Amino acid sequence: MALRHFFKHLTILTSSYGFCTLSSRFIHPSLTTLFNNINPKTQPLIPTKFSLPLSHCYTSVSHPSTSTLLSPYLSVRIRCPKDIADVFSEALMCFGATSTTVDEDDNCDTSNEICIESIFPESEDVDVCISQAADSVGLKMIPSYEVKTGEHYDWIKKTQESFDPVEVTEGLWIVPEWKTPPDVKATNIILNPGLAFGTGEHPTTRLCLLLLQRLIKGGERFLDYGTGSGILAIAALKFGASFSVGIDIDPLAITSAHHNAALNDIGLENFQLRLVSSNTSSPSTDEHKDIQKQTSFEAVAESEHETYDVIVANILLNPLLELADDIVSHAMPGAGIGLSGILSEQVPCIIDRCSPLLDNISVSEIDDWACLSGTKKLTGN
Amino acid sequence: MSTLKEILTRRPVAATIRLTVPAGGARPAPPVGPALGQYRLNLMAFCKDFNARTQKYKPDTPMSVTITAFKDNTFEFTVKSPSVTWYLKKAAGIESGSSRPGHLVATTLSVRHIYEIAKIKQSDPYCQYMSLESICKSIIGTASTMGIKVVKDLD
Repeated sequence: MALRHFFKHLTILTSSYGFCTLSSRFIHPSLTTLFNNINPKTQPLIPTKFSLPLSHCYTSVSHPSTSTLLSPYLSVRIRCPKDIADVFSEALMCFGATSTTVDEDDNCDTSNEICIESIFPESEDVDVCISQAADSVGLKMIPSYEVKTGEHYDWIKKTQESFDPVEVTEGLWIVPEWKTPPDVKATNIILNPGLAFGTGEHPTTRLCLLLLQRLIKGGERFLDYGTGSGILAIAALKFGASFSVGIDIDPLAITSAHHNAALNDIGLENFQLRLVSSNTSSPSTDEHKDIQKQTSFEAVAESEHETYDVIVANILLNPLLELADDIVSHAMPGAGIGLSGILSEQVPCIIDRCSPLLDNISVSEIDDWACLSGTKKLTGN
Repeated sequence: MSTLKEILTRRPVAATIRLTVPAGGARPAPPVGPALGQYRLNLMAFCKDFNARTQKYKPDTPMSVTITAFKDNTFEFTVKSPSVTWYLKKAAGIESGSSRPGHLVATTLSVRHIYEIAKIKQSDPYCQYMSLESICKSIIGTASTMGIKVVKDLD
């Protein structure tokens, strides 16, 4: 297939996009070694036409990904004539902007000009980029603009402000840390999601919470595979599980989950969090040496196959397909397993993958999202 | 495009945001974070939605996404496949096009590459009415502006 030819010539193009891909669970394992820890500033110059074997890890950076996550960015406000705003923003994207935003103004009749707000990585030369973009669009003169250094604090704060208490189902509320629960007698889960996934508003989180309510009768051991903010692990304990473990490949998620457990007065005796590496799905202690703040977490070698009564994995289609065997291996025979984070159209694919592993497969849907639940087969692996 | 107009008349639009995000790699970090956070959009919902819908692409291909943010902090977005120039550069294994297109040839590609790229592009919303042949022709046109020559067979 000719597309294999593309893969052989894959050079690192992330340098031209000016941002770092973090060790994301969504990247195919063989690519994580390539894109992990690549900081555009310390990257050596790549000669063109250099074809790279995929297993070669290119650079290694000593500090963890959080520092590049929060490196400052440049925010540029450009004024330009309204009729070419669209084309101009596309041109800006081609020449190095990482995003452009065009405000819809209510009083747009008064002036002919419109503001484009564009975000550039810190290392980018804004003047050159804007003049090139203006050139390609056909503007006679370079539009006026002003450059500010944006602080990440601002937008993080703004997104957090938009969280409200949300009622997932009767008697179950998810409340942000800084708001008071509307119904004090209901089961309230207090959350500060930080930069991890799981605020309770997303349909997949709801589907998983409803599934948990059905599966957890009391005293079960629960594994949250891909825990994000820890919401499912905490909910399981509130529903009556005896022991909850959350695992994730993102250190930020583990930090958030730890924080949320403390907010809900959950101690370490029945709640544990583990950071696992993204290449394999079992934790390994050597990977943790590079990550600084992990001393408080237990990096226990995972020898706990077949010990959980309920497992829920709310991630994405591709990781679910790859990790299906591993997820099911942690469950006791007959245990309840839930898989979510998939669109309704992706359900047949997951069913194909999991039917040799699970019995009693049923699918529940909210909006476009689906959750697959089943029980581990009693015989076999 | 007509459905977009319906949406625009339904709800007041606050802004239109254009981003380039790697497929399956949306995270609440730059570029997504600052751009969307400013309008108080639910970052996580966007990331999850975007990642789920781009699962079928090879991870980390840069997808251009256009987000329409409404005044009530909701949003809608459309995802477009990567640009033709990106595909051509990847197929040829080069970082950038030729500095003097028309005069200096950067590299050559075979017709089979163009055909493969055209097949991917055919699923793009605005190419659907075009025949495969005309998509190929426009790709060859883009290639020549980059200084990439197209030959029948590569040796």
